[in-house]
Amino acid sequence: MEKVKISARQLFVLIILFEHGSALVIPLGVRAKQDVWLAILLGMVGGILLFLVYYRLYRYYPDIPLTSYVQHIIGPWFGKALAFVYTVYFLFLASRVLRDFGELLLTFAYPETPLFSLNAIMILTVMYGVYKGIEVLARTGELFLTFLYVLAIGGFILVISAGLVHLYNLEPVLADGWKPVWKVVFTETLYVPFGEMIVFAMIFPYLNNPEKAKQATIIGMGLSGINLAITMAINVAVLGPELVSRSTFPLLDTIRNIQVANFLERLDVFFMIALIIGGFFKISLFFYAGVVGASELFGVQNHHRLIYSLGFIVLLLSVAIADNYSEHIKEGLRIVTVYLHLPLQVIIPICLLVIAAIRHRYFNQQS
Amino acid sequence: MKRIIATVVSILLCGIILAGCWSRKELTDLAFIIAVGLDKTKDGKYMMIYQVVNPGNVAGATQRGGGSGGVPVSIYKATGNNLVEASRKTSQKVSRIPYYAHTNLVVIGEEVAREGLDGLFDAMERNSQFRATSMVVIARHHSAEDVLKILTPIDKISANQIIKTLQFSEKMWGETINIHVGDIIRDLSSQGKAPVISGVGIEGNVRKGKRQLSIQASEPDARLYVDGLAMFKDGKLVGWINGEASRGVLWVLDKIKQTNITTGWKGKKEAISYKVDRSQTSVAAHIKNGKPSVSVHIQTEGDIGEVLVPLDLNDPKQLLMLKTAIEQAIKREVLDAVERAKEKRTDIFGFGQTVYRSYPHEWRKIAKNWNESYFPYLEVNVKVESFIRRTGLRNKPYIFQQQGGKLEWKK
Repeated sequence: MEKVKISARQLFVLIILFEHGSALVIPLGVRAKQDVWLAILLGMVGGILLFLVYYRLYRYYPDIPLTSYVQHIIGPWFGKALAFVYTVYFLFLASRVLRDFGELLLTFAYPETPLFSLNAIMILTVMYGVYKGIEVLARTGELFLTFLYVLAIGGFILVISAGLVHLYNLEPVLADGWKPVWKVVFTETLYVPFGEMIVFAMIFPYLNNPEKAKQATIIGMGLSGINLAITMAINVAVLGPELVSRSTFPLLDTIRNIQVANFLERLDVFFMIALIIGGFFKISLFFYAGVVGASELFGVQNHHRLIYSLGFIVLLLSVAIADNYSEHIKEGLRIVTVYLHLPLQVIIPICLLVIAAIRHRYFNQQS
Repeated sequence: MKRIIATVVSILLCGIILAGCWSRKELTDLAFIIAVGLDKTKDGKYMMIYQVVNPGNVAGATQRGGGSGGVPVSIYKATGNNLVEASRKTSQKVSRIPYYAHTNLVVIGEEVAREGLDGLFDAMERNSQFRATSMVVIARHHSAEDVLKILTPIDKISANQIIKTLQFSEKMWGETINIHVGDIIRDLSSQGKAPVISGVGIEGNVRKGKRQLSIQASEPDARLYVDGLAMFKDGKLVGWINGEASRGVLWVLDKIKQTNITTGWKGKKEAISYKVDRSQTSVAAHIKNGKPSVSVHIQTEGDIGEVLVPLDLNDPKQLLMLKTAIEQAIKREVLDAVERAKEKRTDIFGFGQTVYRSYPHEWRKIAKNWNESYFPYLEVNVKVESFIRRTGLRNKPYIFQQQGGKLEWKK
């Protein structure tokens, strides 16, 4: 672990950037059709409940990250195995987001560039950021968040003033009842991006003011959830539910529809900047968690030494992970959700909390 | 030493990465395709027609005072089983790489439209260069090829001529609709709304209109005009709506911004014209005893543009009567349009979607038979409210005195 501290405000910034990351640009929860905004908001509520689990665990062990306290909770042997699983999970997610990023850029902007070279440039930047440490990432985040918000508000005003928003596209609400919405919540939006907050279990120990962690995180998640819901609602209102469900990047289609005053058009670069900034922070945080986890687990004093090797692994994995985009997405929706997100974000943390609570009560009674 | 090496390496890296010349294309290697046309060949293949901007002649023509340079656009043709194949094949004729990011117009031959649009737009939607905001028109009575070949006088590039004509005509007159590729795809892929697309025709001599000589005359040998709305059913063109009835379609679709309504007055036909400046339409659906009905509510605001009968516009009572006459005229247009669509059994107004939005459960039962058994017998209630806000710079027309009308204050 590094000897640095971040403030609650910086944590808040990191959370916002992380949550927006790729979720802003991918067709998140579109199987709920025009009720996608509802699915995102419900996912956010579920995500905040999950966060309370992680937060409780953090309060039991305020000075060490997830991969260390699992060893305290379930003993060194199983604990080490589980810590290893979490480390690999974070690195795997880093390479998945990296792949997302590369695929998005390739599809709409660089059709002739090989995936490897785009991903290599991104991972080099990420490695540099992680090398500099979490404090530098957080401060960079503060800078970029302002920029991203200015862009977002500008885009929002443009979409509205171009007269593209047709609210009737959001009707009828709940045409097929609650069932499809809940289905999307429990198969998609709960885990991505809200359940992925598990990665912050590796970051919380750096907080200089643990009291404020809860407030900052809940506000951060709430704000992100609302932002994402509004963005998807606008996508649906502009494009219609049918087109959104067929689109690879609904936000890009929405932005491309903007035509204001005959010269404010083709603002694809808005999308590109949002994608690169969000992608950078999401990959960085996953990668950072993986690197810190690995250095704790294997007793490497200086985590900098792991960055090169792990970065290279993440890069190769991001290319090798799937043959094509459809396979990548299918993996994400079917396999990763059920076999990785569900146990590692929901089941195991809850079990850990139960065990930790019992241990602490027992321990307290003894003393 | 280490520092120097690191600096040199990073500068070199920057040179490689930041130059961004991976798949660079020079401006002089690109053929800017401004419009795409689609026709069918005799053996059933697609013929794609490309209107490529001739950059030197567009910029040069204005500098030289116009007309003396070469033609502003060049036409290329290619046939293929699908659009992408045809597009790649053009490379045998064009010396540059086709570039679609500036394609603003798609002209579809009437023949192709009658056979069906089906998957035509897929390539346009899938390609990242092509914009969903490109406009679509149907070449009426002529092939798309002919339409794209006609040279135009004021806007040198004929694609721009068509686009601007459509935009301004929709805004000022409202009998044609300015519809984009994205809108059509949305209509084609959803239930309860069929697309309507404006037509483009040619008046004059097509053969002469292709020559530069044509636009050197004050009246060119051939002119492009926009007229009529093509109605589609299941992606096939089934008929045209013309004239005032086509404005009825735009009233319902809430596309009317400004237009002019001419109405009769006391036996004299076409006596008064009412300029609409603002208009809003709302459509609502109701279901009673399983029978859907639709109500259309149109609100307009406008001024008096012209009066050819002795009518005292100072008198609010007269204005009230006039208002009723205008409302009747608009209502007639709308009902006329609805009748035409019902004849062809195609719901171009999106009434089905309105029903779906208000009654999703009931809609599921009737969706399948909507076009055949519900829409043709649909009860459409039209309510128009027209407000005459002002009468222009004059109140009474000058013929008022001529024809012996009395001024109010003399009474």
